[in-house]
Amino acid sequence: MKRSKRFLELEKRPISNDGFIREWPEAGLVAMEGPDDPKPSVTVENGKIVELDGKRREDFDMLDSFIADHTLDLNIVEEVMAHDSKELAKKIVDLNVCRDEVKRFGLGMTPAKVVEVVGHMNVVEMMMAVQKMRARKTPSNQCHVTNVKDHPALLAADAAEAALRGFDEMETTVGIVRYAPSNAISIMVGSQTGRGGVLTQCAVEEAMELEMGMRGFTAYAETVSVYGTEQVFVDGDDTPWSKSFLASAYASRGLKMRYTSGTGSEAEMGFADGKSMLYLEARCLYMTKGAGVQGIQNGSISCIGVPGAVPSGVRAILAENLIAMLLDLECASGNDQTFTHSRTRRTARMLMQFLPGTDFIFSGYSAVPNYDNMFAGSTHDVDDYDDFLTLQRDLKVNGGLVPVDEEEVIKVRNKGVRALQAVFKELSMPDITDEEVEAATYAHGSKDMPDRDVRGDFRGIEDMLNRGTTGVQIVQALAKHGFEDVAENFFNLLKQRIAGDYLHTSAIFDENFHCISAVNDKNDYAGPGTGYRISDELWEKLKNTRLAKDPANIGE
Amino acid sequence: MDKELVESIVRNVLSNLDEGQSGSSKSPKKNTGGNGLTDKDYPLGEKRKDLVKTPSGKSLDDIKFEDIISGKTDGSELKITAETLNHQAEIARSVDREQFAKNLERAAELTRVDDDRILEIYNQLRPYRSTKQELLDIANELENKYDAVINAELIREAADVYEKRNRLKGDR
Repeated sequence: MKRSKRFLELEKRPISNDGFIREWPEAGLVAMEGPDDPKPSVTVENGKIVELDGKRREDFDMLDSFIADHTLDLNIVEEVMAHDSKELAKKIVDLNVCRDEVKRFGLGMTPAKVVEVVGHMNVVEMMMAVQKMRARKTPSNQCHVTNVKDHPALLAADAAEAALRGFDEMETTVGIVRYAPSNAISIMVGSQTGRGGVLTQCAVEEAMELEMGMRGFTAYAETVSVYGTEQVFVDGDDTPWSKSFLASAYASRGLKMRYTSGTGSEAEMGFADGKSMLYLEARCLYMTKGAGVQGIQNGSISCIGVPGAVPSGVRAILAENLIAMLLDLECASGNDQTFTHSRTRRTARMLMQFLPGTDFIFSGYSAVPNYDNMFAGSTHDVDDYDDFLTLQRDLKVNGGLVPVDEEEVIKVRNKGVRALQAVFKELSMPDITDEEVEAATYAHGSKDMPDRDVRGDFRGIEDMLNRGTTGVQIVQALAKHGFEDVAENFFNLLKQRIAGDYLHTSAIFDENFHCISAVNDKNDYAGPGTGYRISDELWEKLKNTRLAKDPANIGE
Repeated sequence: MDKELVESIVRNVLSNLDEGQSGSSKSPKKNTGGNGLTDKDYPLGEKRKDLVKTPSGKSLDDIKFEDIISGKTDGSELKITAETLNHQAEIARSVDREQFAKNLERAAELTRVDDDRILEIYNQLRPYRSTKQELLDIANELENKYDAVINAELIREAADVYEKRNRLKGDR
């Protein structure tokens, strides 16, 4: 065939490298409205659910049992299930029906029902619903702070800058597992240098993650994964009961936590039971609710290649965020792992959460270059900061970031690394040299950093752990070396565990350690002029980006 | 609509009656203590400092930065207590978060269990790790040694489900 020059040009476009596949329901490769999804149904007898979504109790798997006994509200489930799904969908979208009234439906719908309900919505209606149903009134944002070398100096500098830029939560993970405690401490010190009250976590294996939290190296946890089929749940080495126990273990130490789930994980692991991705995700969310966890990170997350490849996949991702909100869960709404080569797709996918606002629009935004992102990249990164700030300015949307000044950034990065240098010295960890401080202050990424002596670092980390080091020693080290303000922020974060206010749904701290959550900052959106609005003070900041010229200086 | 409302109220009342009859062992003593806490008392650390104490009984204001630096106050004071968790559960209930409130009540019980034992129990609860008897032993330990009644119930339930679904030690 003689080739068309237009088609030859199209083939050169980045999107041609993306993976797309036609629907294949038997393998779970269908985003929502799967032909073999169960029809919604429930039967209650003698105060017990005896039938759920077409399955009798004797045939329940672990998730069915857990959802039937811990999640659904027996007082309302039959009443709500009797409603027409389209009518429920209309009420969810209708801005004249308040959030509290809609919230009541959540625990009265079975997983199959809620999937049918959101299936009636297009993405604009879903965004309307997200705007009304997200738990916290004020939207916020989370970032990733990692690097290929697990370089502590660079982690501290990046965390300090990210805090200054406005992220309320920060997540790190490791290239090599043994670096985990070092990474956790590095972003904690860096973040508290940038702004007191930023919450930090380190995503590793469940038991290790809990231990770091108990020691005071992290402030919350998120990588506590749940899955929508029993086989995948068990392959993930957990059950709904072990995960529920873990949830209470965190709370018993005054530590905030949320679960993680997402469409596509079951298909990716080969056990989707022929069900749609959204139906299986709905089961995860109902399980999460039943465990009594305050929130969820979802939006496909690390499996986004799967829903991203099938029709209506990005719509399903928004739908799963919405289902979390219908269950009154905090929602850290994805937008993390890279799924496309196309800048257009990347932005379009992100707008679904950016425009209505969520508890955490990204989970997270890459506060490092993409090559340093150890969560397999993110849809947006440090090189997109100006684009993102411009979108906020263009559309008058608070996406959680504020414009910053280069000189300020350099200053705070430098201070963050020097603070960590002091901590490492005091904890007898391998030195952070002055050369490393200088490199991290001005670095774009780990390519600009000298290599670490990895073996030496491991020995240092092991010794530090064996000495029983906790957050308190870090506070003392910071104070001893003149970083009183950072020490005090670190101390205040540890002190918050006593009161436990930040265990609640969608909790974050402002710079004065005032807790803002879905208890004292309830979303009260009810149409134009209500709900969250950008304050005049914030708008002044958002307008004045680096790229915006001052008319007074034109022609000088 | 009115008919629906009445029906729903009746169901509500009946189910509460059911709970009251069958479940004295199921609904263990809750430390709600009738403080009547609601979202108006939140954040507790700001609005109800009188109710927030450290493990040794100090108030929030007694926990000072200088004393942590000098070592006068021990790091073990930076912990939440069972009482505070039960207060937070009460607040959670006031904003209709029943399951979350229950989680906080389970957590209140677990404040009495040390870190290592918590990690061990968590690992024992993972699939294929324990026999049914081992799980029941943990439940008894939690109930008798730590007065952790709600957690014990959760683990007994797990033991039954693991048995039914073949997720006990040796089932793989």
